[in-house]
Amino acid sequence: MKKIVKAMLCVLLIMSLAGCSRNNTVSSVKEPEVTGSETGENQDSKEATETKPVELKIWHDGDEAIMGIIQTSLNESLKDKKITVNFEKKAGLTDQIKLYGTDAANGPDMYLYAHDSVGMFAEMGILAPITDVIGDESLSELLPMTVQAGTYKEKKYQLPVYFETLLFLYNKDLWKGEVPNTTEELYQYMKENTDTAAGTYAVVNQHSTAYNVSPFINGFGGFILSAEGEPGLNNAATKEAIDYNKKFAALQADGDYNTVTTLFNEGKAAAIIGGPWLISGIKEAGINLGYKSLADFTLPNGRNLAPFAGVQGVCVMKYAAEAKKDAIGEVLKTLAGKELGAELAKKSNCAPANVKAYEDTEVAANEMVVTMKQTAETAQPMPNIPQLTVMWAPTESLLAAVNKSGEDLDKAADKYQQEALTAIADMQ
Amino acid sequence: MTKHKVRKAVGYSVLNLVFLCLCFLGLIPILYALSLSLSSGGGALSSGITFLPSNPTLDNFKAIITEEPFLIWLKNSFILSLGTMVIAMGVSVEAAYAFSRFRFPGRGGVLKLLLLLNAFPQILSMFALFRLFKELGLLNRHLGLILIYAGSMCIFGIWNMKGYFDTIPLEIEEASKIDGAGNLKLLAAVILPLARPAIIVTSVMILIFVWNEYLFATTFMLSEGSYSLAGGLYQLQTGDYGRSWSMFSAAAILVSIPILIIFFFIQKYMVSGLTSGGVKG
Amino acid sequence: MKGKKKYQPWLYSSPAMILIGIIIVFPILYTGFISLTNMNLFHWLDYRVIGLENFKRALFKVDSGFLKALLTTLLWTAVNMALQLVLSYFIALGLNAPGLKLRRLYKTLLMFPWAMPAYVSILLWRVGMFNTEFGLFNKCLSALGLSKVNFLSENIPAFLSCMILNLWMALPFMIMMIDGALQSIDKCYYESAKLDGAGFWKQNLHITIPFIKPIMAPAVIMTTFTTFKQFDIFYLLTMQKGAYTGATIQTIITYAHQNAFVSNNYGLSSAVSIIIFGIIIALSLFTNRGVKETGEMALRKKGGAYDKA
Repeated sequence: MKKIVKAMLCVLLIMSLAGCSRNNTVSSVKEPEVTGSETGENQDSKEATETKPVELKIWHDGDEAIMGIIQTSLNESLKDKKITVNFEKKAGLTDQIKLYGTDAANGPDMYLYAHDSVGMFAEMGILAPITDVIGDESLSELLPMTVQAGTYKEKKYQLPVYFETLLFLYNKDLWKGEVPNTTEELYQYMKENTDTAAGTYAVVNQHSTAYNVSPFINGFGGFILSAEGEPGLNNAATKEAIDYNKKFAALQADGDYNTVTTLFNEGKAAAIIGGPWLISGIKEAGINLGYKSLADFTLPNGRNLAPFAGVQGVCVMKYAAEAKKDAIGEVLKTLAGKELGAELAKKSNCAPANVKAYEDTEVAANEMVVTMKQTAETAQPMPNIPQLTVMWAPTESLLAAVNKSGEDLDKAADKYQQEALTAIADMQ
Repeated sequence: MTKHKVRKAVGYSVLNLVFLCLCFLGLIPILYALSLSLSSGGGALSSGITFLPSNPTLDNFKAIITEEPFLIWLKNSFILSLGTMVIAMGVSVEAAYAFSRFRFPGRGGVLKLLLLLNAFPQILSMFALFRLFKELGLLNRHLGLILIYAGSMCIFGIWNMKGYFDTIPLEIEEASKIDGAGNLKLLAAVILPLARPAIIVTSVMILIFVWNEYLFATTFMLSEGSYSLAGGLYQLQTGDYGRSWSMFSAAAILVSIPILIIFFFIQKYMVSGLTSGGVKG
Repeated sequence: MKGKKKYQPWLYSSPAMILIGIIIVFPILYTGFISLTNMNLFHWLDYRVIGLENFKRALFKVDSGFLKALLTTLLWTAVNMALQLVLSYFIALGLNAPGLKLRRLYKTLLMFPWAMPAYVSILLWRVGMFNTEFGLFNKCLSALGLSKVNFLSENIPAFLSCMILNLWMALPFMIMMIDGALQSIDKCYYESAKLDGAGFWKQNLHITIPFIKPIMAPAVIMTTFTTFKQFDIFYLLTMQKGAYTGATIQTIITYAHQNAFVSNNYGLSSAVSIIIFGIIIALSLFTNRGVKETGEMALRKKGGAYDKA
């Protein structure tokens, strides 16, 4: 019996090892094969003007309405070139890309996602720089900040489409008087107009989510992760910011995404700190919405709140860049164009990456888009180095420990700084 | 005599009361979800404690069934569940029979080994299965998922049915053996009918496992049209449903209903299989 | 045994063994292989075998945090299993009381929690039950004029919350298994016991429990493992990305997840997986002995019928 089991295990082991090695060779053989035939035909047929129809698959994990607009607009523009793009929603996109990023048969050709994971995928070697597909001149109309956000180790990996930052969104029917200009006045207003027992709030925020506390952290001169990859959780300025945020958190309900959005959408909270992704829900709820840039709030230290900017853009998988170079180039050029940018701004309040799009009169009149662009001029993009992926967990644990469990800030900061350092060391 | 009857009646009323309370307690979260799903918008969330929304509406259910590919997902869930059930039961009944009826070297060892293998957290297997299935071309195919599910539930099936087969006395088989029935025939004609409750329970377990599994379903299936119900809803909860709690609740209730219907109907068979008196020690 | 017969059991079980080999054994071996390589973000496609390096690093992770997580997991498993078995035993007994007419209805209603996908149930509880603003528990507290409680922000209440949720999710299965087992007991045992003057407790201790023990053993052992491996409840309830509640309960699986898996270092996290698997094996050697004993007991009760096979 033991012999049989042993034999079985051996066979399986051999199978598995053979599987892996074969896997490597197969994939490296398979891809160029596809490449050869496709590009070859494309190049041959260029002269003949008889282009073969190409279908491109783009994965995303965003708002279906926004993606729908991009898809329709792209397909409209590229109809003559016989290029069709399909946007497919993938929950947990980053995990899926890790698996399918080398799978030419099943994986996507491109994906549209926030810029902060660019470093990770570039380092994994599954992305092709967009400059392999299109020339630098196609990027000339794009806001430099948005291009910079998708640049990792001096290579441009992401074509920015639109960007978002946190805004101060308020319910005009509930907010009393003017929205203040300093955070201290805002705090006073919150103290006077919040009744936690009754469940009515002045301002709600995801106060224990790193992205939503970043306006404070950056405003105080602290940082979550430096450009060199050093975590800054127990940095004095970061701690000061977390401490300052704590008194706001006490008046902001639980701080969970579902909780705060529902409170705002149901008129139980007069204002919310959130991004454009909340807009479609707010519209459905029929709220009389007003905006204010977070950069217009002054902190006690004289500086302004400084939210992160998140740039949503398209990255190209390596295998697709080889196989479908021309078609992808067309798609990227259209995405970078001002028409698509203006349409996005008009239909879904996105702030386009294309500067020229703002010249459109209707866009220029869109309060929300303009507010976001203003904020973005001072906002710094999130870091995009791979280390960021392991920073969210310790940062948010720290915030929750301080805001929700009442732990001592200094102790907790040291503890989670250590966790962050370990996590970064574990990556290597 | 009458005193005895009265006591019995009181006893049953108490028992019924206890069960009613128990069912109610267990159902509170679901009743709450039901009331949410019948409310328009997220209204029920912030108002007081009530199990009946002020303006009940079926809009949420209608939206899910018509707007999302609910029916396609339902069909996929059925294909996956039935496929898994057939394969998993098909292979584990024979194995369970072998482990229950034969004494052979290595029997105990293999049984223990199976139990240990089952202890390996499946979430850790994902990457390896991905590599294997990519080689075999089973990604993005229902067959691939069925194999994963069947393999995952196979150990459970073997152990569960072996436990029951063990309680079926050998004498019954011996009698048929004398009639000249072979082992497989014996299994089909004598053991299976006797083990009906175990087979039904195990099948339902497998069915529910498949019905509720979402992680493999969303990782190994790539197009919206091939998701199972649980997988499809998982994809949606980050988007549409994440925004609307009442839609999410409605979806949750819709997913559960088919399982409950199946459960209600098989109960009868379970009981009849058990009380037919085949099992005598 | 004749030559042909010797292979018969293997023939019968071979389809199952092949399937298990592919779906269960292969991934474990593969994880073992990856644990010997330096596969991580920076060597995603060009990884190579680096020997036991990862295990050395992984063993460093077996520190105080890991041991605490292990103890929490053991406590969690023990408490949950004890409550689950006792509660479902009595519920199943009640369901089998002769003359209970609404039995089928009760059973179906009690199964409801089980019919829901786990993540749906957990999210439903997180927002519908435990939430400070909309949760039913807090609404009740407010209605009684008490202040709101954040059930998930500190470890002990969060542990209890997770436990209640786990019971809610797991009881239906246990009830169904025990119910099935109870129905297979021949009623004549009880009649003769009654004649001997045995009361309710005596009947349970001397007839019911010994009888269902061998039938229940596999289900109980597997549920124990499931409880031990429980990840979803802790993760989705208290530490989902973007929704940390403040509680820091770690079981060994969540600990490993946080310390090894988020880093995308597959080599290291595979080594951690293998070590955890080792720990599970070590712990289950103990339970295995339990199985053997109940198995032997069943044999003895059957009057050695098996020896003939």
